[in-house]
Amino acid sequence: MAAKGGASNFEKEQMFGMAEKEMEYRVDLFNRLTQTCFEKCIEKRYKEAELNMGENSCIDRCVSKYWQVSLLIPFLFADSIYAYSIA
Amino acid sequence: MASTEPSAAGAGAGGESSSQAAAVEPIRMPTAEEIKGQDIWNNCAVRSVVSGVMGGGLGVLMGLFFGALDNPIMAEEMTARQQIVYTAKQMGRRSISNAKTFAVMGLIFSAAECVVEKARAKHDTTNTAVAGCVTGGALAVKGGPKATCIGCAGFAAFSVAIEKFFDRHT
Repeated sequence: MAAKGGASNFEKEQMFGMAEKEMEYRVDLFNRLTQTCFEKCIEKRYKEAELNMGENSCIDRCVSKYWQVSLLIPFLFADSIYAYSIA
Repeated sequence: MASTEPSAAGAGAGGESSSQAAAVEPIRMPTAEEIKGQDIWNNCAVRSVVSGVMGGGLGVLMGLFFGALDNPIMAEEMTARQQIVYTAKQMGRRSISNAKTFAVMGLIFSAAECVVEKARAKHDTTNTAVAGCVTGGALAVKGGPKATCIGCAGFAAFSVAIEKFFDRHT
């Protein structure tokens, strides 16, 4: 009983640590996404306060591509690690 | 994260400056209704229809104005009432034909500019030039290929000039 309680405590800490890392990863992803798409899509001469149509569609496309890339690269990375560990 | 940080920064700035008795508004993120309102204006069909209606209105005004200035040929033989009736009919005819022309012009120009800007994902004068070319070419297409080219170039130059004129005041 005591060993099981200790193991689950350790597991809890592990899970908490992983959740924290995951949260940091998500926050970093969001910040990078915002910065990248802002620098790419919005002109430096701010002529008005609202986004015009070109900037709107640029941001839509930028976010979509960034998201796809961020989902695709972990798959490729996992594949390459798997191949490396097999070979 | 994006919603809390600017409001916290804005509230901090507001707190500091309110102690100095200056009025700095905290930064407010757009509400869902505001975003929907802006999104309606982003729709190409809505924009072109509204531009067409505005062009029609402008055409009516122009037709009224220039129709009133038109003098009938047989002015000496008509009584005052006949002259008024003739002038009113003239104004009406010119208004309707001008309204149609300007409405089509506004519709085509706005639709072309919207489509080009959405495709390029950039806000430029190139969009205005291409839209002007399409409009001028569409209006002059009955005169043959040479008239179409001249209409395209002329209207593109005109719309770029108007755009630069309005941009200077921004």
